[in-house]
Amino acid sequence: MIQLSHVSKRFGDQEVIHDLSLKIPQNETIVLIGPSGCGKSTLLRLMIGLLVPEEGKVSLFQQELTSENIESVRQKVGFVLQDGGLFPHLTAKQNTCLMAQFLGHETNWINSRLSELRDLTHLSDAVMDRYPNQLSGGQIQRVALMRALMLDPDILFLDEPLGALDPLHRVGLQEDMKTIFTQLKKTVVMVTHDMGEAASLADKIVLMREGRIVQFDTLTNLSTTPADPFVTTFINAQRKPWQHLEDQIK
Amino acid sequence: MIRFSKLALVIGLSLFPLFLSAETDKTIKVGSKKFTESVILGEVITQHLQSNGLDAVHQDQLGGTRLLWKALLQGEIDLYPDYTGTIIHEILRAEANQSIPDLKDALAKQGIILADPLGFNNTYALGVTQATAEKYSLNKISDLFQYPELSFGFTNEFMDREDGWPSLRDHYGLPQSKVRGLDHDLAYKGLEAGSIDLIDLYSTDAEIDYYQLHVLKDDLHHFPDYHAVILYRQDLLIQHPSFESLINKLTHIFSDSLMTTMNSAVKIGGETEALIAQEFLSTQFNTNSKIETPGLSSRLLQSTREHLFLVLISLSAAILVAVPLGVLGARNPASGQIILGIVGIIQTIPSLALLVFMIPLLGIGGPPALVALFLYSLLPIVRNTLSGMADIPQDIRESALALGLPSLSRLKLIELPLATRSILAGIKTSAVINVGTATLGALIGAGGYGQAILTGIRLDDTALILEGAVPAALLALLVQSTFDLFERFFLSPGLKSTQESVS
Repeated sequence: MIQLSHVSKRFGDQEVIHDLSLKIPQNETIVLIGPSGCGKSTLLRLMIGLLVPEEGKVSLFQQELTSENIESVRQKVGFVLQDGGLFPHLTAKQNTCLMAQFLGHETNWINSRLSELRDLTHLSDAVMDRYPNQLSGGQIQRVALMRALMLDPDILFLDEPLGALDPLHRVGLQEDMKTIFTQLKKTVVMVTHDMGEAASLADKIVLMREGRIVQFDTLTNLSTTPADPFVTTFINAQRKPWQHLEDQIK
Repeated sequence: MIRFSKLALVIGLSLFPLFLSAETDKTIKVGSKKFTESVILGEVITQHLQSNGLDAVHQDQLGGTRLLWKALLQGEIDLYPDYTGTIIHEILRAEANQSIPDLKDALAKQGIILADPLGFNNTYALGVTQATAEKYSLNKISDLFQYPELSFGFTNEFMDREDGWPSLRDHYGLPQSKVRGLDHDLAYKGLEAGSIDLIDLYSTDAEIDYYQLHVLKDDLHHFPDYHAVILYRQDLLIQHPSFESLINKLTHIFSDSLMTTMNSAVKIGGETEALIAQEFLSTQFNTNSKIETPGLSSRLLQSTREHLFLVLISLSAAILVAVPLGVLGARNPASGQIILGIVGIIQTIPSLALLVFMIPLLGIGGPPALVALFLYSLLPIVRNTLSGMADIPQDIRESALALGLPSLSRLKLIELPLATRSILAGIKTSAVINVGTATLGALIGAGGYGQAILTGIRLDDTALILEGAVPAALLALLVQSTFDLFERFFLSPGLKSTQESVS
């Protein structure tokens, strides 16, 4: 589904991604995690062509990203940013429907898709007529999620979608996201620095450090067979990474 | 934004016919310079032609000698009054003390006929107040040599004319360094107030008597004669065979004292040039021509029409050009610097210089004024479009890219709407500046509120200055509030401040 081979990315003199190769399988939720500056957000942006690598190849849907195919490829993926990235001059509804209208979908189709997504993200009809500056942080992220899902994309990219939220809203949205990912069975690539989120949402985790992948594995394998002492250090540094497992056991 | 540009274009084009003047090619256009004597002479010529059955209009108070001469060569005007000294030094740049037949020959080569002198000599002179004259015992120009501390205030034209200050200084070896250029009508005020000691004069100026000025004798004979003459285009003789004899009726009938009296009647007595010209012609030829003096309301209507024409057309054109330039600059920062640089340089070109450059291309009247206003309106719009686009946050740009919107659609659906507020602010600044700058249209015969201001300054008539300045200020306010309303209706509520939009 997503394939990177020998990708390097520099900003000026600084190389932020070093000769990185990665293959992300279909219909799994993959979390990119690591300390600040490890290159996880850069890696995500390389995957949707917001950044272009100096070396190596990035392919989505078995085709290499080029300036010719980038727009059509992007119309088959969804993207949610940390602050939502909603367009401030458009209402929640206009934000959500922008691309569908641009691509000429029928009004009936758009409206039924909109109500499906509202049920999924638990947003009221009234909220949809508001502008982003009239929405709470949690509502903004839910609208951003609706916008990303509107055209039923094959892949969903999320860059720290919960990063800017207070703990209460964070937990609520995290639970809803978990339900949505399970229901929709999409390929999801999400960046976070929070091990709790990763533990709750990820099928597999890509743990990064200084522009390289340290280990790409399930949470269980990361803890039982760490590839490097750093893996154990990183996992243990996080608050209650096992909380959700304990909850399941109970 | 795009909707607005279309709107502006439609409004501009639909208003255009309203402003087209009724003048035809057959109309004889009389020009005059922007000082009272020239305007009176222009009025005399115009009324004389009219009372003899010719269709003539007076384009009064045009910028200066070079502007009028170019306009005459281009056929933008057909005739105007000038002075022999000016023709020698400014137009032909020839040897001094050429005879009138010599000048006639030289001008004929350029298709211009020089009529015989009107009968008076309005030469340059230097004047001081009686008090200054007594204090330094000044009687002749060479007396100035001993007093380098004296400060001089000269008309800008005198400052750089061939026969003006530079050659006067060399001729007499004058040591003064405090020399300023200023408007002739303001110079008298400065002299009276004591902020300058000496000014240049025209020897037929009404103010010499009024302010009781002491005229210094040109003892080393620097200033040439300035016999007033009429210059006209040869091709007038083909269209109007009687033209030569009509013009010749005006020659040799003036005198220095008569001209000084006429100047005084306008400048000190407060009469209109048209009335003085009419009185002169009726005494001279027993004619009974009627002059129409338009009332305040019809004058205002006329100048408002002319002013709106200048502002609306030039601003619409500036919006249509400057917004795309700003977008281009924002998309490509390297070209953005170049665009801003060029537009910034244009802004620094002095308006009169710009107008003079354009006469060979566009003549006089509306077109050169429109182009100048258009050029001066570009900078605020380009700069605000550029910064409005550049200020769009990174995450919004990434969002738009990640949705897969093509470049033009991103511009139309996301970037331009987000930059609207900044672009509107730029247009608002441009519009207000434009309303003010459009008063310079009067210098080149495009009319507008500047006409009243120019005449008011020349005649020291505060009421007349206000007749131009007050409507111009009101128009600026109106333009400002129109754009404020526009912003209220067209700007997305999501872009207004939170308090406003939550309510």
